[in-house]
Amino acid sequence: MEAQRSETEVRLEVNRCIRTISTSRDAVEVVASLRTLAGYLPDGPHARASASEREEFDRAHYTMVLKVLVGGLHADWRQRLTSAEHTELWGAFFLQGPPDQALLVIMDCIGTIGQSSGQDKMVDILELYLQNGRVGALLWSRCQGPGSPDSPQLRETLLGRMVSLPDLMANRLYPHNRPLFLSAQYYSLLAQEFKFALDKTCKALKDGQDCSLRFVAQLLGKTCVQGHSEHLFKDLVPHLSASTRSDMVWQRVCWRLMEDIPDRWMESVVTGLVQVVTGPAALARILGNLVVKNKKSQFVLTHKLLLLQYKYETCVLRTLLGYLAQDRERRPLLIQVLRALCQAWSSSSSVRHTPVEQQLYLSRALLLCVSLLSEAELQELRAELMQCMLGGMQCHLDSNVVRIRRIGMVVGECLSSRLNTQEARLKFEYEQDEETKELVSMMDPFPPEDAVLTDSDDELTPYDMSDDREMTKSAPPRYIRDCLEGLIFSEDPTRVELSLQAAEGLVRKNPSAAREVSVELTKVLLHLEDKYSTPSFLALRQAAMVALAVVDSIPVAEYLTTEFYSVNYSLRQRMDILEVLALSAQELSKPIAEQGRPSLPPSAAVTLVDPQSVPSNWRQVVEQRIQSKTRRFGKSGAPAPVTATPNRYASVAGFFFFPLLQSYDRPQVTFDLLGSDHLVLGRLVHTLGLLMHLAVNAPVATQMGRSLLDFVWAIRYHTDQVVRQGVLFSVCAVFLSMPGQCLLAELSDHLLETRAWLADVAEGDADADCRTLAMQALVLLDKSLRTQLEPSALDLKS
Amino acid sequence: MARPPPTPLFVLRGSGAPINTLHFSCQEPSSALLFSGSGKGAIHVWNLHTRRAERVLEGHGGSSIVWVNTIGSKETLISQARDKRLCTWNLSEGRSDVTQSIFTGSVGFCQGSVMEMHPQRWLLAYPAEDMEELVELPSGVPVCSLKPDAKLGMLMCVKLWQPDGGCGPMLLAGYEDGSLALWDVAQRQILSRLTTHPEPLLCLDFDPVGLRGVSGSAERAVSSWVLDGQQNLQLRDTVELVNPGISQLRLRMDRRILASAGWDHRIRLFSWKKLKPLAVLQYHTDTALCVTFSDHKDSRLGLMAAGSKDQRISIWSVYNDS
Repeated sequence: MEAQRSETEVRLEVNRCIRTISTSRDAVEVVASLRTLAGYLPDGPHARASASEREEFDRAHYTMVLKVLVGGLHADWRQRLTSAEHTELWGAFFLQGPPDQALLVIMDCIGTIGQSSGQDKMVDILELYLQNGRVGALLWSRCQGPGSPDSPQLRETLLGRMVSLPDLMANRLYPHNRPLFLSAQYYSLLAQEFKFALDKTCKALKDGQDCSLRFVAQLLGKTCVQGHSEHLFKDLVPHLSASTRSDMVWQRVCWRLMEDIPDRWMESVVTGLVQVVTGPAALARILGNLVVKNKKSQFVLTHKLLLLQYKYETCVLRTLLGYLAQDRERRPLLIQVLRALCQAWSSSSSVRHTPVEQQLYLSRALLLCVSLLSEAELQELRAELMQCMLGGMQCHLDSNVVRIRRIGMVVGECLSSRLNTQEARLKFEYEQDEETKELVSMMDPFPPEDAVLTDSDDELTPYDMSDDREMTKSAPPRYIRDCLEGLIFSEDPTRVELSLQAAEGLVRKNPSAAREVSVELTKVLLHLEDKYSTPSFLALRQAAMVALAVVDSIPVAEYLTTEFYSVNYSLRQRMDILEVLALSAQELSKPIAEQGRPSLPPSAAVTLVDPQSVPSNWRQVVEQRIQSKTRRFGKSGAPAPVTATPNRYASVAGFFFFPLLQSYDRPQVTFDLLGSDHLVLGRLVHTLGLLMHLAVNAPVATQMGRSLLDFVWAIRYHTDQVVRQGVLFSVCAVFLSMPGQCLLAELSDHLLETRAWLADVAEGDADADCRTLAMQALVLLDKSLRTQLEPSALDLKS
Repeated sequence: MARPPPTPLFVLRGSGAPINTLHFSCQEPSSALLFSGSGKGAIHVWNLHTRRAERVLEGHGGSSIVWVNTIGSKETLISQARDKRLCTWNLSEGRSDVTQSIFTGSVGFCQGSVMEMHPQRWLLAYPAEDMEELVELPSGVPVCSLKPDAKLGMLMCVKLWQPDGGCGPMLLAGYEDGSLALWDVAQRQILSRLTTHPEPLLCLDFDPVGLRGVSGSAERAVSSWVLDGQQNLQLRDTVELVNPGISQLRLRMDRRILASAGWDHRIRLFSWKKLKPLAVLQYHTDTALCVTFSDHKDSRLGLMAAGSKDQRISIWSVYNDS
């Protein structure tokens, strides 16, 4: 009865005031009404309503009052208010009533009215609203009580407005947006309000009050799914991590918060969290056993982040897998993850069809997982791991890509050392680099916090010590024939080494003598075995052979190209042949003049003002001074006139190129180029592409291009990515080097098909290099087609 | 890409014989000198400004000079040669007189060692026949002789040093059997012995502050060892070299750089802290016999000199920038 009466009274009074405000022209009357209404606000000088009255006002009339106030934005009475009165009787309404209703009214108002002083006023109010922590009050108002009583529509609208406030504001206010509404600032403010609401929740729980985190969880989820997790978590997660360290209530609040996140937003929250949180322990404190309870998060954490995506840093992997390993309930998931990783790592199809980066990622995860296993688990999984190791290594070592092979070796080594504590372990010879070191470091599950040890000797930088070689007793050979003899007959390691070291120099110093023995020496070098483990044997041998091919191109190239397809050569030798041909062609195609004249240091490019020459006017003087003071790095100041020198390669390109194409499709017992020996095929296609590229402007380029296109057309869909890369490289080389008109004539039949193929590769190839090369080829093709077609189009017009 | 190794600052030529030993005297930078002892018995006094030999001292009858050193100032020189004599010279005011001549009786290659005990009083250790003799300079009063009980072979190198904390002087001696002994001079007994090399120990240097030393031999390695609190010598790590044989090891005064003169003609530099190889200096065309650092007060002016069998002395400026 009492409540009934107060309800009616409140309604009557509010309605009367509203009517006055909206219709009256008398400012005094309006102010009096505003005062009466302000009486219903919780704080302030005019507060006088009882709790039940205020409740009724909040429930039924608050929004209405705000709308009337907004409607009176331009009314006369507003102009008469002093600024103090204005804050007290107008602004206070927005900042003191129920925060959700206020926010909706403010944002609606900003959204509907155009740019005007009224809008400015509302934006000011919104700014005040955010600064006064009203968002926190809003969140806290939703946390209280067992559950939110709102209708789903209201909740959705509220969530939408809160999450996309920066977007809405930017759209409405551009170009006068306020800094507070920029996303970085707004979301860190939101993070503060989250902290505030969660803090209050913890306190309330400790006091035995019931709380609901559903709304907060929904807001968190929606913010993350819209891609703002980074800004939000940057401030929020360290706070959560610190608060949960000692406080069990906080931990339970966090767990509850995570559990309350709706499934459709779970993924973005968990992904964002894993990336920001430091260390598995903190993640466990925040997430609890969510991964066990929630299917969606389980899928994301144990499958999607590990097997489907590969962009995350190693520390994310460490956090994630460490989190799985930490708890008894989560431990089975670690084993499950390990099995899945093993399967993926040892699958030859995944090795062939996924990018190298993903395999690296996978290998890191696998090693981390293995390192986290306990001895008992290791024993249990021994057989599976062994099988994974053997199968996986086989398909990794089979790959043509050095990085994949190396990954296979490192992972194999690490796995075998973990599996066989005493017995024989695998040991490969591979070059250490950052990548392998990082992989090996995965076997240590808890890296030291400060991994970078400061070397106190660092202040003393070492000089180059590569020249520090062993002293030799005997003298190096002085004539090319001695050198040849030394290589053929000598059983003395030092003599062989000296001969090998001297070979290149001798060949270059006396080309006419070298020509007499060129083919013989090439033959000896090609068959030379590294019997004595000569240091840098391969490099020395290669340098000597290149020198021979440069000095006496035609016979040596003929010899090497014939030998490439003959029987009884190892793959290594065939690859050597290809390398030598490519390197010597490269050297031959460089202008000779450069060899005699060492390039001038950059400082020499500074030209001094010649005191003799009398400058004609002041501008010239200034110009000269600027020129003389300007140092140009890289390019010399004025490009020296290019002297034309004959390209030595142009005349012999055919001898290098065509024999290599002669018999690629005739498999032999020991050499099946189109079959299992795709390693050599990849190198062959690359070399041919290079030879083609170097033959630019040579008369023979057209024929070379035609043959090369024919050859690579057949193997353009090869399964090996290295071969495919070679094919695309060759195609690029042809497009670059072949004269435009010939290219058009040559391609006419295949033009559309080629374009379609290249576009297809550029879009869909698993290998990143292939995609870039295909793109390159497309661009080149378009360019040369355009230059070829445009003049003819003009001709037609005229 | 590492920097290319440095080249010599300048080269002193004209000694006409292998350079066996070098000693700087650069206390006054205006008249910096370098003493060199040659294989033909001549001691050259090089002026480092004019880069010419100021004087040539001949006092050992043409027999190979093993060691030169100064005491106090550049005016008093000690020279030791294979004519079994050790001479002190007065070089003040243009004189070049032998003031004292001690018969050592040693024909080996072991160099002496000298240390300032009190102001104007020095302790000199020199090899005699199968023992070490210690005398006080400039008085020439014999202090003691140290003769090992066990058969250690010929004395190869010695180093006198004064430990902190009031104990008497100590002597480190390397022997033909590759062992190293720490002598307490006052008690005339060996405190600790350590076999550092299978071959004769050819050279050593010691850091009395860090209580750490290095020794070289005819092998491919430099050994480092430490002296622990109980006066025990303990082997530490070794640094592998590319070529065998080390003629001399020298630690720079600031205890940052160690230099080695190798049979492979090369001078190597190591950081003293971790013996990290820093540089391989290739200039000489024959065995490098000695290497030494200057005693400049201003470390930025510091020099390093290396003498070789190819009769040249190369002067370097390395790691002086900081």
